[in-house]
Amino acid sequence: MKQNFLLICSLIFIISCSNNNSEVIDYNDNNLSTGGVLINAMSAEPSNLISMIAGDSASSAIASKIFNSLIRYDENLNFTSDIAESWKISNDQKTITFKIKKGLEWSDGEPLTSADVYFTWKLITNPNTRTPYGSDYALVSEASTPDANTFIVTYDDNYAPALDTWASLEILPKHILENEDINSTFFSRKPTGSNYYKLGDWVSGQQVNLIKSENGVLGAAYIEKLTSRIIPDTSSQFLELSAGNIDLMNINPIQFKRVFPAKPKLKNRTALYKEMGNGYTYLGFNLKREPFNDKKVRQAINYAINKDEVIKGVLLGLGEPISSPYKPGTRWSDPSLKPYEYSPKKALNLLKEAGYKMSDDNFLVKDGKTLEFEIITNQNKQREMTAVLIQRRLKEIGIKVSIRVIEWASFVNRFIKPGDFDVVVLGWSLSLDPDQFNIWHSSQQGPGQFNFVGYDNKKVDQLLEKGRRELNLDKREQIYHEFSRQLLDDSPIVYLYAGYGLTAVNKRIKGIKSPAPPAGIYHNSQDWFIPKSLRRNELTNK
Amino acid sequence: MNLFKGNLLATVGFIIISIILFVAIFAPLLSPYDPNYIDINSILLPPSFDHLMGTDGLGRDVLSRMLYGARISLFVGFVAVGIATLIGIFLGSIAGFYGGWLDSIIMRLVDIMLSIPSFFLILAVIAFLTPSIWNIMIVIGLTSWMGVTRLVRAEFLSLRQRDYVLASIVMGTSNTKVITKHLLPNSLTPIIVSSVLGIASAVLIESGLSFLGLGVQAPTASWGNILTDGKEYIQFAWWLSLFPGLAILVTVLGYNLLGEGLRDVLDPKNK
Repeated sequence: MKQNFLLICSLIFIISCSNNNSEVIDYNDNNLSTGGVLINAMSAEPSNLISMIAGDSASSAIASKIFNSLIRYDENLNFTSDIAESWKISNDQKTITFKIKKGLEWSDGEPLTSADVYFTWKLITNPNTRTPYGSDYALVSEASTPDANTFIVTYDDNYAPALDTWASLEILPKHILENEDINSTFFSRKPTGSNYYKLGDWVSGQQVNLIKSENGVLGAAYIEKLTSRIIPDTSSQFLELSAGNIDLMNINPIQFKRVFPAKPKLKNRTALYKEMGNGYTYLGFNLKREPFNDKKVRQAINYAINKDEVIKGVLLGLGEPISSPYKPGTRWSDPSLKPYEYSPKKALNLLKEAGYKMSDDNFLVKDGKTLEFEIITNQNKQREMTAVLIQRRLKEIGIKVSIRVIEWASFVNRFIKPGDFDVVVLGWSLSLDPDQFNIWHSSQQGPGQFNFVGYDNKKVDQLLEKGRRELNLDKREQIYHEFSRQLLDDSPIVYLYAGYGLTAVNKRIKGIKSPAPPAGIYHNSQDWFIPKSLRRNELTNK
Repeated sequence: MNLFKGNLLATVGFIIISIILFVAIFAPLLSPYDPNYIDINSILLPPSFDHLMGTDGLGRDVLSRMLYGARISLFVGFVAVGIATLIGIFLGSIAGFYGGWLDSIIMRLVDIMLSIPSFFLILAVIAFLTPSIWNIMIVIGLTSWMGVTRLVRAEFLSLRQRDYVLASIVMGTSNTKVITKHLLPNSLTPIIVSSVLGIASAVLIESGLSFLGLGVQAPTASWGNILTDGKEYIQFAWWLSLFPGLAILVTVLGYNLLGEGLRDVLDPKNK
């Protein structure tokens, strides 16, 4: 009892000390030093730290700090070395030879060689491995390892996204996993990797701790320990950030534009970062249903929606309109394409051409049927508000719209997968490779596949097939610009906005690049550091 | 206030409910704005003279939405309880008057329904239907008739033994007539009280469903979904959570006061 009392007293003392300290912290201290703890918040717990099995973003965020790939993207999204120091594409564009760096080690001290790479490739293409990513690697017709530092893959046909697939395959250690069943191995919760960090401990439902690894393939990071706390509710995350208990979290436009300016104290010690995200939100038509099989109707609805208003109202201006399914500012996004402007007049003209007439009660009618449909979306406030704004604009030109908000699991399983919907408001997150075969090719319309809007255009099919085979970047760019133009004209979806990714980081974390490079602010997280004077006072058991 | 024989609780409840009814009925006249009028240039404004209860995330006037929301809440309350009461009276009368195996079946049905937590039952049913105000009223009605059934049956069981009822039966009056002329009018008191209390819980259920996104669909305003919107902005837009929360509180309180008060007033033992 007495001990408890003393402990509480000392805790209070420590807390009050740290509070006093926080008043006089000088955030201008920029002295680079190693050590310190960065605490961030995650919305979900990782399911499994083997990325090829896990497939959720929480898992890959942690795993990417533990594992390396053959190659990686640099800050300008060009390929650069990782485990492989160089790579060469043969003249017929079908063979890639990776030269692996010499003297690499796993964090347990075992050597990392081409045998590990070959083992990982075997693993992901093994039909018994429960992974959704196997098909990309199954295109490799032959893989070989002439020596410990060379890995050669040959494709039957040119495959342009090949390098991207090798940049996303995390290499696993053969010496540990050789005799394990990858689907149920202990390794998924106790991994051994080769990157900047290794797993310290993982308390289910609470936090995952990563400790700096001294023999990482790419060198050593500055920050000693990364703690990822699992806090599902974003409002709770925000309270923790306000209380100074976490250093980093993703925030929403309201918090960025309204909450931070209203809290000067919090604003003083937090840096806000804004970067273009790699995804977009759209309004998608079910092209197999009337009246959306009529291109004029789709274009009319596109003209009738005011995208600037949506960006201003829903994102408080923190987003951009887009006109192709690519991140603005990258080479794949064609700057000469412009979004459909807001023009109710054009919309009405197109609908009249499509055979609609205005009825007495101000709704558009064709063959005795009123133009009406239901927009469905999942329980996402931004998407719901977007739907309300669209509903209003469409009502103005005589289209009757109802809105239905559905919980995610039943949204996907009961409506999207069976294709049972009129119109959806949804989003796509994109990979860095421009190949969108899965989303737009007419062969990808089966239940559970990604072309659930039912887009079918022979010309686009050909372009997508050509784009996957072309390894010359300039020619590839031409192909995808042509594809984007066709897609914009057909208007199977209405591009609504690409929102900025917004991150709040405590100012004690230094070394973050601003403005964010194309690869995002996390790109150089190994170079982030916390000056000694700004570190938290920590209770340790040492 | 002779109406409630000086009973303070009932009087206060009655006044509260009357005000809310008035507001709901005359919402179109009282609202300063169209409740669905979006103005993206005045998003999340705090309460002011232009917008007495501020504006929401799409710049809509919260006061107008609250007034129209009152209609939804009250409408759902009345209709749902109406359905429940009708079912309850029907089944309760049969069970109480005829007794025997009919009584056993009906009362076991009541027990089964009562053994399922009603909110979860409603959630499960709504998840399979298109969420609309009509479906919600019907589902709430169909899952909350058990209390009335039990009350009516209990009243009937005791009334059926009274001399005037026995006499009437002996004289050959038809069963329907005995039920409607003698038994029902004499068991109205508990029915009225439980209906009034039932409205309060129906209002709460509707708000709960709308809060979870399974109730009235956007853009229609209901207190429950204004409250959900408020949840997002609770750190600085307090007006979006406070007003609908207060409205639900006051309404439920009003019905409860009225119900409890009525019970005291109508109880012959208190005369």
